Amino acid sequence: MSPTQDLSHLSEAELLRMEREIAARHLDKFPYFAVFWAFSNFAVWLALWPLVFMGIIPLWLGFIIATANITLSYLPSHEAQHDIIAKPGAKLRWLNQLVGHVSTIPLVLPYQVAKITHMDHHKHANDPELDPDYSTHADGPLHAIWKSIYNRQPRANGGFNAYGELLNRKGRTDVILVSVGYQLVHYGILFALAWSGYALEAALLWWLPRHIGLTYIQYYLSWAPHNPGLTKGRYRDTRSFRSIVGNIGSLGMQYHIIHHLHPRIPLYRTPRAYWEMKPILEARGCDVHDL
Amino acid sequence: MVQVIKAIFYFGPLLFGIGFLAPLSAQIIQAMGWTPPFGLTPLMTGLILGGAYGLLAQIRGRWV
Repeated sequence: MSPTQDLSHLSEAELLRMEREIAARHLDKFPYFAVFWAFSNFAVWLALWPLVFMGIIPLWLGFIIATANITLSYLPSHEAQHDIIAKPGAKLRWLNQLVGHVSTIPLVLPYQVAKITHMDHHKHANDPELDPDYSTHADGPLHAIWKSIYNRQPRANGGFNAYGELLNRKGRTDVILVSVGYQLVHYGILFALAWSGYALEAALLWWLPRHIGLTYIQYYLSWAPHNPGLTKGRYRDTRSFRSIVGNIGSLGMQYHIIHHLHPRIPLYRTPRAYWEMKPILEARGCDVHDL
Repeated sequence: MVQVIKAIFYFGPLLFGIGFLAPLSAQIIQAMGWTPPFGLTPLMTGLILGGAYGLLAQIRGRWV
C-alpha cells in the first residue's frame, strides 16, 4: 500500500481489518534497545556521582549528561508499562518489571504511579475530568513549557498532584505511600548532600536535571502529540506531528498516534507502522497532515 | 506517623528552602567568591535567602 493511497471508499470494517493486519506485523517484537537503554542510562547517571565527586569530570559536564540521562529515563519504563518487554505470566516478566522500576528512579516517579496514571490517560485521553495528563494542555509551545513548570508548584492542581488525586479516587493508598517514600528518600538525599557541602552537585546532577527532564518529557510526550486536544475518541485524541528536533529529538513521539491506537507496538516500530497505516488513518479522518 | 508525613509535606516549601536552598545559596556565594554584607557568613546569608524564599512559597503555594 502506498502512503498516499486513497482508501476513503472502504467500509469501516475493511479499514479496521487492514489496520489490525498492519499492527500485527509490529506487535510482539522484543525491544532489545529499550532494555539496553534502561540499564545503561541508569548506570551512566549513577556513575556521574563518583566521577564528579572525585573530580574526574567537571560538574558542568556532569550536569549536561545528567540532564540527558533523566530526560531519557522515562521511555524504557513506558515500554514496560504497556507490557511490551514481556506480558504477565511470560518468562521474562521479571525483566519487564525491572525495567519499569529502575528506569524512572532518577525522575523520582514510582513505576506503579506511572503505570496506573498512564493507563488512565489512554482510557480517557483529552477528557478534562478523567485524563490525568489533561493539565499539560496549552495554547502553544511556550505556554506548554510554562504549564509543565506551573503544574509542579506545591499547590497546583495538575501534574503529579493530579496523579495523587487519581490514585486517591481509585483507593490506591498503597501506591500513594510508595510515592511518598520516593519523595522522602529523594529530598532526604538532596538535603543530606547539601548540608554535607555538596549542594551544587546535588542541584546539578539531580534536582535541576530532573526539572528540565520533566519539562521536556511533558512537552513532547504529553502536550505536542495531543495538541490541541479538543476531541476525544480512538481516532481523534492524538495526532502525528513534525518536530523541529526530529523524531529522535522528540523522544520518538512524532508517530504517537500509532501508540494510542496500538499501545503494545514497541516505540522503535511506530514510524514503520505509521507509514504503512497512514492511508487508513487519513481515511479515518485522523490528524496526520503534518507528517 | 501519617500525621508526621502530612506535616512534612504541608511544610514542604519551607523545609526545602531551609534544607536545600539555604546550603545551596551558601555554596554558590562561596564558589563565586562573594562577601555577604553586614558581616554575615555565607551560610547565614543562605539561611536568610532560602528561608525567606521557602516561606514565600509556603504562603503563596508556588515557587514561580
